[in-house]
Amino acid sequence: MGSDDHRLLQREGVLFFGNVIAGLSHELSNVFNIINEMAGLQQDIVGGAQPGSTDTADRLFELAGRIKAQVERGETYNRYLHKLAHSVDDTGIAFDLGETLELVSSLAARPARLARVELVMQPPEQPVTLEGDPFAFVLMIYGSIGAVLSAADSERRVEVGAAAHDQAVRITITSADSLPADVIDESAAALRIGRAAWGMVHTLDRRPDAHDSVILDLPVVAPGPHATADDEGQEDPDVT
Amino acid sequence: MDHLRLLFVDDEEELVSAVVERLELRGIDGVGATSGDEALHLLREGSFDVVILDVKMPGIGGLEVLRTISRRYPEIKVILMTGHGSAKDNEIGRRLGAVAYLEKPVDLEDLLMTVERAVNGEAGGPDGQ
Repeated sequence: MGSDDHRLLQREGVLFFGNVIAGLSHELSNVFNIINEMAGLQQDIVGGAQPGSTDTADRLFELAGRIKAQVERGETYNRYLHKLAHSVDDTGIAFDLGETLELVSSLAARPARLARVELVMQPPEQPVTLEGDPFAFVLMIYGSIGAVLSAADSERRVEVGAAAHDQAVRITITSADSLPADVIDESAAALRIGRAAWGMVHTLDRRPDAHDSVILDLPVVAPGPHATADDEGQEDPDVT
Repeated sequence: MDHLRLLFVDDEEELVSAVVERLELRGIDGVGATSGDEALHLLREGSFDVVILDVKMPGIGGLEVLRTISRRYPEIKVILMTGHGSAKDNEIGRRLGAVAYLEKPVDLEDLLMTVERAVNGEAGGPDGQ
């Protein structure tokens, strides 16, 4: 990866982190707000806001279950944050394609929900191990999903699928709506990172019946060294 | 307070359900909606004294609902809520006619105090926000 691409990865990476962390922070706040309100409801019930009630124990039991579900929801968001934070640990490691796609689609779930688009992830049929920079991979897929989400029209459904063949992987992001020819421009930075870090090649598959797709083809093992220093051998002051 | 009819709008279903239950336990007629669309539908179907609106929701957001309320139901008092305070949203909300702007988590007693002030024609939240 050249120095320009490396700088692009860093800049896009910071934007991506900011965007995703703001979303997850909002979701975690929602969880805390709900737990706070349910605790208030429990206090109201125990405090006798409804005198003479015979089903207090049942109500408290039911509320405890709802609180537990919210705690599990919060733990899930925390798990995403943890995985995301560790995706920058190494630029050349082996990682599971299905798990990483699941992480990306989970991170994209909030923007999809806000855009009122149903986002569906179809994991690969067989486990596939990729080797390369997981963060560049996440950025490439997230950016591409974002571009397809923003082009959603009346059908508002986007499906992400993956299939491996020999030493290559094809990731398909299909919209139930037609995609404009310039949809790829929306994710230009993500695709450039994908080309530089993964040797990815993208195509836009447009069909007469809508269900257009952005297709990303990449090797199972990313080409070239996965070092963080640039190709001209300049030392990166941010890497120790 | 027990003569008022409140509409609480937030896209978090569990939050709406807990708040509505707590209002009921206080003898307050509270109705919940989990989207801007549903809120507008309920406003067409019935009458409300106060609408408590989350700003950020999928589809029709709180500010858009507020705009419709100000135009079609100017007698209804609107209180906006947001997860992360934004001065810009607050300013837009005030301009569109919201009587108060509260940051989550909103304490129910504070919310009810704000509702009372709103129906009595006193602007602002519990802290005079």
